[in-house]
Amino acid sequence: MKLYRKEGNILQVLSFPSENAEKGDYLLVEDTDAGKALIAQVIDVQFAAIPGVLEELLRTLPDGGEPIQGEDIDPLEIAPHITYIQDASLLICKIRATLENEMLTPSSSWLPSRSQSTIKKLSVPALMKLAKVDGKLPIILGGTKDSSLLTIDASAIDGTLNIITGKKGCGKSHLSKLLMVSLVGYKATVVVFDLNGEYGSLGMTNDGKRNMYYDKIHALAPGQNFKVALDQLHLNVVMGILIHALHLPGTSAREFRRLWKQLKDSGKLTLNALGEAIRNLNCNQHVKDALASRFHSLINSSFFTDNLAEAALLEECLMRAKDQGGAIIVNLKSTSNIDRQIVVEYVLGKLVDSLQSWKLKATFLFAEEAHLYLRETYWDDIVTRMRHFGIFTTFITNQPDTIKDGIYRQADNIFLFNFTNEHDLEVVSRAARVDAETVKCIARDLPPHHCLTLGRVVHDFPMVTRVRTLDLKTMGETRLFFNAAS
Amino acid sequence: MVIEQYTVTTQRYNFPQPSMDTSLPQRFVEQSIQSLRQVRNQTFQLNQHAIQQDSLYEKIPMTLQLKRQPLPLTPRSQETLIAAVDTSTIKIGETSTGIIIAVRGANVWKQNRAYRYKRLGPFIFHITEDNKKDLFKALEKSYFSTQYGSGHQSTPHLLQMPMRLASLLERWLQAMIAKVATNGILLFDGSLTSGTIDTPVQRMREILSTARRHGNIVLAFSKATSLRSNGYLITDLLPERDSPYLLETTGLRFKPPTLLLGDVYVARLNKANLAFRLDIDYEVPTQDRMEAVERLIGNDVFQQSYPETLRLAHILCTFTANEALAIQHFITRKHGIQIINRPDMHRLLFGSFGREGYA
Repeated sequence: MKLYRKEGNILQVLSFPSENAEKGDYLLVEDTDAGKALIAQVIDVQFAAIPGVLEELLRTLPDGGEPIQGEDIDPLEIAPHITYIQDASLLICKIRATLENEMLTPSSSWLPSRSQSTIKKLSVPALMKLAKVDGKLPIILGGTKDSSLLTIDASAIDGTLNIITGKKGCGKSHLSKLLMVSLVGYKATVVVFDLNGEYGSLGMTNDGKRNMYYDKIHALAPGQNFKVALDQLHLNVVMGILIHALHLPGTSAREFRRLWKQLKDSGKLTLNALGEAIRNLNCNQHVKDALASRFHSLINSSFFTDNLAEAALLEECLMRAKDQGGAIIVNLKSTSNIDRQIVVEYVLGKLVDSLQSWKLKATFLFAEEAHLYLRETYWDDIVTRMRHFGIFTTFITNQPDTIKDGIYRQADNIFLFNFTNEHDLEVVSRAARVDAETVKCIARDLPPHHCLTLGRVVHDFPMVTRVRTLDLKTMGETRLFFNAAS
Repeated sequence: MVIEQYTVTTQRYNFPQPSMDTSLPQRFVEQSIQSLRQVRNQTFQLNQHAIQQDSLYEKIPMTLQLKRQPLPLTPRSQETLIAAVDTSTIKIGETSTGIIIAVRGANVWKQNRAYRYKRLGPFIFHITEDNKKDLFKALEKSYFSTQYGSGHQSTPHLLQMPMRLASLLERWLQAMIAKVATNGILLFDGSLTSGTIDTPVQRMREILSTARRHGNIVLAFSKATSLRSNGYLITDLLPERDSPYLLETTGLRFKPPTLLLGDVYVARLNKANLAFRLDIDYEVPTQDRMEAVERLIGNDVFQQSYPETLRLAHILCTFTANEALAIQHFITRKHGIQIINRPDMHRLLFGSFGREGYA
C-alpha cells in the first residue's frame, strides 16, 4: 500500500489486489522519521484511476457487443502484471487518530511522508490495545473480519444513551438481547419495553432448558400478571397517566387531584370508590364527563385492580433485580395503544420515584420502537432529566427518523446495522460521535447480523462486528406463512 | 505402406498452424530474457516522452501523378477471409547503458463474420550499444535464414532499434500469414515500399510471392502518407464521386535501393470523406486487384474508410499506459531493476514551456 493523497482528515491510499483491504479495516500509516503514525479507517474502496484502463477495456469490445475472441501468446507473462495494475484500488480512509509515543490523540494535523511511510493493516485486537478498550466487565459483541473478538466494557454503557438501529431483520433485537443479558450477568437492573413479546423467554435456552438468567428474567404482562392497585400508586404517577396518556385537560386534572386526595385521606382509594366519587361529583358536566371517560379507560385497560393479591408489585421485582441483577420485561405485545401508554407512564413514573428516593441505584432501560408508546416530552426527559436520575436508555428502532435529532446528537453509543435508504442514513449521520461519511459508506454495505459500533464503547474507533449468536430462546423471528417446516 | 492422402483445404483461416515456424518468437523470448539479465539490479529512468513509435519514414518522390478518373467499386459479399497484421513498440525507459523497449504484434482475422485475434508479446528488450548488433542479427537470423541487408546497414542506431525490432516481428507475422492463409485478403499496415533499412527488397518479394502462391492478395493501407501530386497530398485530391472508388497513380519512382513492390492507389472505401494510400502487389492482375478490394468492402466493416480488421490489429498491438506501467512493474519485480525518476531537463529548464512538442 502507498500513501497517495491527504485532504483534511481523508487519506487516499493506493492498494494492490493482494493486499485485500476492505471497508471498515484499520490502517496504520507509520512515518518512522517523524516518529508518528496515523490510524485511519477504510470507509470506501474505489478503482484507482490507472491511465489506459479505459482503452484496455474498450479494445476488447469492437462493436459494443461480444468481446473479441482471441489468443494472447505472452511468453514473459506480463498479463498478470497488467491485471495487477488494472485491479489496483484506491482506499478512501478517515483518519481516526495519531499515534505518538504509544499515546493516541484525535489529531490529523500532520502530514506523513508519502515516499517513506509504511502502511499496514491494523488488527482489531492491536487497535483495541492501543485505544485501551478493555475493562473489568467485558461484553463480547462478536467477531471481526480478522477473526478476533470485539469486546466492549459494560461500564462504557453505564450512564450513556444508546441507539440500536438498522433495517428490518438485520439483528437489532438480537444485539439488544445480548447487551441486556450481559448487563444482567453483571447484576445490573434492566427494564425492557418489549413491544413484540420476544424478551420474555430469555431465561430459557434454544432447546427449552433453563439457563443462568432464568431466575433473573421477570416477565410482566400488563392486565395479566402485572396489575396495580390504586392504593399503591403515587398521585404524580396517576396524574402522569391521566394527562400524558389519556390527555386529561387541566381543569379536569385539578378536579381529579382533589378527588384522589379526598379518597386517600379517607383510606378508600379503590377503583370502586373512585368511580363512585366521579359519579357523585357535583361540578361542571364537561369536567365530570371527562373524568368518567378517563376512569373507564383505566378500568378497560385491566391494568388496575382493587384486589391486592392480584397486584404484582413492580417495585418488588426491581428490588430483587437490584440485589442479584435482573431484567423486568414489560410485555406490551397484547396491549392497545392507549393501554401501552398507560403502562409505560406507570413504569417510568415508578422508576423515577424509586430512583429519586434512592431505592434503586440506576436502571438500564431498553425501549423497542419507543415512538409507539413514548410521549413527546419524554424524549427530552430521557436524555436530560432521567439520565441524572439513573435511567440509561437504549433505543431500538428500524425507523431512525422516529427518534428526535436531539437524541442522536446526545447519543453516546450507536450500534448501526445495514440501511440502504439514503434518508435513514442521513438521519443516523446526525449523531455527534460519528462523521456522516463513515455512516453512509460503511452502513450501506453491512451484511445481515453485522453491526457498525460507534461511540464511547469503542473509544470512537468505529468497528464492524458480526454479532455473536446467543443460546437463548429469543422468539424474535418473524412468523411466516410459507414456513419450510409447515 | 504409408498412403499420403491429399485433401483439398477448405477456404478457412487456420492461423497459426501447429506446424508453423515459431523460431522467431522463441528467439524473441530468449533474446528478451538475455538482454534483461544484463540489467539485473540496475536502476532505470522512466521514458519521459513515451510515444508509440509505429510510423515509417517515407522519402518523397517528385514524379507522382494521380489519375483523376476514379475506378468505381462494387462490394462483393462472397465469403472471403480478411486478415491483418500490425506491430507496435514502446520505449519503457532508459538505463545507464541503453534503453528498455517492448514490442508486440497482432494478427486479426475475420472468419464467419466474427473477428478473432492472436497477439504475440509483449517482448521486452534491454538494448545497448554493445548488444544491439548481436541482438538484431540473432533475431534476423532465426527466422530469415538469408540476411539481405549489408552488415553496416542492418545494425541501426540505438534509438532506431525499437522500430527495427517491431519491423522484424511484423515481417515475420506477414510471412506467416501469407503462408497459412489461403484465398484471402491480407491487410498490411503501411506501404509495399522495400529496399529500406527495415524491409529488404528480397524479403518483401518473398512475402508477396508466398501470398500469391496461396491465392492471397496483399493490400497495404497507409494511415498517413506524404506522397503529393502537383504539390497536394494524394489523399486530399478526391473527386466529387460516390464512394467506393480507387484513384490510380502513375510515375511513382524511388531512388535505388528503395523499390516499390506495389502499385499505389488512393482508396475511398465508404461515405466518409477520408481516403488512404493503398498499395497492391503489382504482380497481381488489375482485374484481380479490383476484385480483391471489392471483396474487402463486401466482407469487412469500414469506419472512416479504413478496414476494421486492420484497425483492430492496430488497436490490439498498441500499448496502453496501463500496460506500460505493468511492464515497468514486471521488470522491477522479475529482474530487480529499480525505477529512478531523474528530472526532465526540458521541464526543469523551461518549466511549463518545456512540454513535449514545444521543446
